[in-house]
Amino acid sequence: MDNLTIKETSYIPTIILDSIKGVFSIKGKSYPENTFEVYQPVQKWIKEYFSTTSNINTIINFELTYLNSSSLKVYFDMFDMLELAVENGKFVEVNWFYESDDDIIEEIGEELQEEFHTISIKLIPHN
Amino acid sequence: MNIPVVRQVMEDEGILFSFSGMISQHFTEFLMDKVRVQLAEELNDRNSVKSIFVISIELLQNIMSYSKDIHIKKGNRHSSPGILLVGFDNNREKYYINTCNEIELCDREKLSSKIDYINSLDKKEQKALLRQKLRSAEDTHDRGAGVGLIEVAKISTEKIEYAFENSNKNLFFHIKAYV
Repeated sequence: MDNLTIKETSYIPTIILDSIKGVFSIKGKSYPENTFEVYQPVQKWIKEYFSTTSNINTIINFELTYLNSSSLKVYFDMFDMLELAVENGKFVEVNWFYESDDDIIEEIGEELQEEFHTISIKLIPHN
Repeated sequence: MNIPVVRQVMEDEGILFSFSGMISQHFTEFLMDKVRVQLAEELNDRNSVKSIFVISIELLQNIMSYSKDIHIKKGNRHSSPGILLVGFDNNREKYYINTCNEIELCDREKLSSKIDYINSLDKKEQKALLRQKLRSAEDTHDRGAGVGLIEVAKISTEKIEYAFENSNKNLFFHIKAYV
């Protein structure tokens, strides 16, 4: 399975999905006007990855500084996929990086932890 | 053009930034990349600035999705006329975000009942509502999750204020949030 890379713009984060290493990285700001269209290939890729990969572990690094509500919806849907992967015996580790004084992104991380408690989600502040 | 009147209104209302024109992704980018950076330098209050722009983007993207007059360009890019004001209310000692756009007559009832309902909830209930909507596809449409106003309410430090204005058979929607 090929890796998927999406280049960062002002309103789309850098997205790198590496199927061999089993490492996904999403970094930047997300507030496109057509969120579902933008993320459609990402969701399709992740779905295919979990149904075909022989990797036991998958690590996902989120390093977002801003996301709009429709992006949040997309990330919730993505976490649904992760939850399903965990149910199917995969190990998924999420690192949720946030700027140490960014209450909004920290709080989203906390909400994800509460909502998806079968997934290991670490909140990691940085400067 | 009566510039002194405009200037006086700006001063009285504590306006830090104002825009009237086409609201589009280009404009939201400009706001996030330039205006946000400048205000962050001027105000020296990172968290307020973050909240101001989270709310601004939600309100502007609502204008792009729910206005009466939506222009659709190649690549399904939307733009609609609207107004954005960001200011500081000296009496309440809070920043505010105020937008205005023309809406369809049939959206009036939907908007007021939605905001009244969100306003009737406390922060904890708003968070629970947001999570419930994010885990279902209830209000999701092709361009958004239908949860922008809940997000605005969650971040605001006061209830959302709104009003409708009839002008020459056109209906304008005004909404204001404080942080």
